[in-house]
Amino acid sequence: MSRIKVLVLGGLWRNNPALVQLLGLCPLLAVTTTLVNGLTLGLATLVVVATTNTIVSSMRRSLMPVVRIPLFVLIIASIVTCIDLLTSALLFELHEILGLFIPLIITNCAILAQAETVASRRPVTESLLSGIATGLGFCGALVALGALRELVGQGTLFAGFDLLLGPWAAALRIDLPFEGMLVAVLPPGAFFGLAVVLALRNLVSARTGPSVRRMRAVPARRS
Amino acid sequence: MAATKPVPTLLLVGVIAVGAAALVTGSYEFSRDRIEANRQALLLQSLNDVLATGDDTGVLNPTRIDLSDPQLLGYEDPIDVYIVLDAGRPRAAVFPVVAPDGYHAAIHLLIGVSADGVVTGVRVVDHRETPGLGDVIEADKSDWILQFDGKSLMSPDRAQWAVEDDGGSFDSITSATVTARAVVGGVRTALEFFEARSAELSARAAARAEEEPVNE
Amino acid sequence: MKFAVAPGPHTAPIASVPLTMRRVLYALTPAALAHVWFFGSGFAINFFVAAVTALVAEAAVLMLRRRPTRVPLRDGSAIVTAALLAFAIPPLTPWWIPAFGAATAIVVAKHMYGGLGRNLFNPAMVGYVVLLVSFPAELTQWIPPRMGDLDYEHLGFLAHLVYSLTGTLPPDFTIDALTRATPLDLVKEGLRSAQTYTEIRAGSLFGGVAGRGWEWINSFIALGGLYLLYTGTIRWHIPIMLLAGLLVPATLLWLIDADSFATPGFHLFSGATLLGAFFIATDPVSAAESDRGRLIYGAGIGLLTYCIRTWGGYPDGMAFSVLLMNSAVPLIDRYTRPRIYGRD
Repeated sequence: MSRIKVLVLGGLWRNNPALVQLLGLCPLLAVTTTLVNGLTLGLATLVVVATTNTIVSSMRRSLMPVVRIPLFVLIIASIVTCIDLLTSALLFELHEILGLFIPLIITNCAILAQAETVASRRPVTESLLSGIATGLGFCGALVALGALRELVGQGTLFAGFDLLLGPWAAALRIDLPFEGMLVAVLPPGAFFGLAVVLALRNLVSARTGPSVRRMRAVPARRS
Repeated sequence: MAATKPVPTLLLVGVIAVGAAALVTGSYEFSRDRIEANRQALLLQSLNDVLATGDDTGVLNPTRIDLSDPQLLGYEDPIDVYIVLDAGRPRAAVFPVVAPDGYHAAIHLLIGVSADGVVTGVRVVDHRETPGLGDVIEADKSDWILQFDGKSLMSPDRAQWAVEDDGGSFDSITSATVTARAVVGGVRTALEFFEARSAELSARAAARAEEEPVNE
Repeated sequence: MKFAVAPGPHTAPIASVPLTMRRVLYALTPAALAHVWFFGSGFAINFFVAAVTALVAEAAVLMLRRRPTRVPLRDGSAIVTAALLAFAIPPLTPWWIPAFGAATAIVVAKHMYGGLGRNLFNPAMVGYVVLLVSFPAELTQWIPPRMGDLDYEHLGFLAHLVYSLTGTLPPDFTIDALTRATPLDLVKEGLRSAQTYTEIRAGSLFGGVAGRGWEWINSFIALGGLYLLYTGTIRWHIPIMLLAGLLVPATLLWLIDADSFATPGFHLFSGATLLGAFFIATDPVSAAESDRGRLIYGAGIGLLTYCIRTWGGYPDGMAFSVLLMNSAVPLIDRYTRPRIYGRD
């Protein structure tokens, strides 16, 4: 398997930051009350991780190990601040809902882990692809959990998409003929939901594909 | 990692820091006005909700004044009272009020009152009531909060400003009497505040309006 | 000669699971009958629905897990879970409430943790708490007890069944008119709105010590608990310490300020105190292992229940306290591990 394929598949599925590495669980649990919330935070994270990877990778040869972590944090923090400002300007109502969790992307360890294990060791293309794959993997987990909790918790799907895509998207909303059980939208529901998504992922992964063990051996050679 | 020298690294740190600063400044400049506009729109929207005027032209030209009355309103710091002026005369006021005795914590309300002391609308701004029970006070969840529209301290009369369970004339909420009681009490307090201070409010609003004829 | 008794591992105990569960069910019978007498047939319907759901769920999960179904289905543990759940939920309620609660208890709390003997949390309480948090409106609709002088509308078995299945009441009845706050609700709300305890107690729903009807049901539960103690089905450590953990602070605060705190007697005979002390907290699987651990475990539940009742957001706190202390059991066990002979 080519290295790129390994990295991309790893980010999306085998080493999914949220569902396998269990990184970034705080935003994952906190914002996924609806699909649109999960999707928005997922997209924001995707942009951050892809950009950070590209920048870090392009200067990986001149990095001095002692200053690398502060530099990563500086880069991540400024990109996140930009995204925070831009969402506040362009998607104000969503920004009001997601609140603190967009600035908190800075503390998402999945992003720092990418910068440390992939971007500071691999060429730009590989790092960018890996970043996109990781971001998509994280976004996918947020979307899956958001959809599950919205469905069970309030009996709707795609509610509030007009906040993200404009007024026409209000028509996307699907209402199911039941009112939902509150526990799914409340914090305990986040944990139950995550458990269900994790179990499903493990089930699928046990039934298909090569063993998890082989995958674990591949990334991050220490140089 | 290739061997690196301190000087290029320092240079790199400098370049990144400058780049990051430029990026953040740029996006701040780009979004500042829009964010401000969004905030204004949100404020106008919430004012409009409790004023129930329908048309937002001309009416929503509120004058903002600071006022504090911790005893009645539950806020220590001065609050913003928005006065809607109609040809120089105050037509309605919008201000926040705290109902301190919610089931889990204080309930924050925004209330609109017309110049003659009639409620034009009430909305819950922030609360910690039990999901599924007390949260029906949110306008999104039920019409319960709309029952205050058109009420004043005259109708129903003061003794009737309580929930049904306590012999008053306001619908209570099944299994969340405490919440309903708190909100009714909060709205009544707000009306009492308005009754006590309305003369002062209009005087100050008129003075302010003359000071700066074009409101922000 | 007297032998020292210490927690496991040992040879197989004499009391089997089915025998224990049968005794628990016997012990609950008088209280169940009292419940039906005071609150109508709802309890029976809920128990039936919960028991059937629990058995079906148990069978389904066991088959999914490719385990033998015969023995676990007959050991009665699912029935006990259903009975405890039926005591916890309001009698007049749609059928899917007990069904959903029982299914959650069996599938999530019991089998997802590995089945009988491995569940970290008390299944019935997990089922109840999930219900309470998800459907607060349905879970707070209690009807008043059957008492001659109360403004009380008696619904027959048929009316209960119809409401359970279809959610419709006989004409002229509304759910709002039928339901009343429970004594615990009244005390909590009354004390909040600056009434004194004596004023609240004067209400028509209160009897000699606690809520009318409730005090009788709870007395029968205590009787059942004593039977369990007598037969050696449960041991004294948890019930005694639970009651102490609840009643000691209750007595102290009541002595300090009798106006703003309920009497210890009220706490003892209200809500789930006695059910919790004898039937819920004593669940051998989710409780602590050693005697010393059980003392801590019981006291913790009692104290937490008192705190939630007095200062928390819910009128009763037994279910939350049991679950919280369940989660503390591994820690308690670690610090109260008995010395291994010849080591340490």
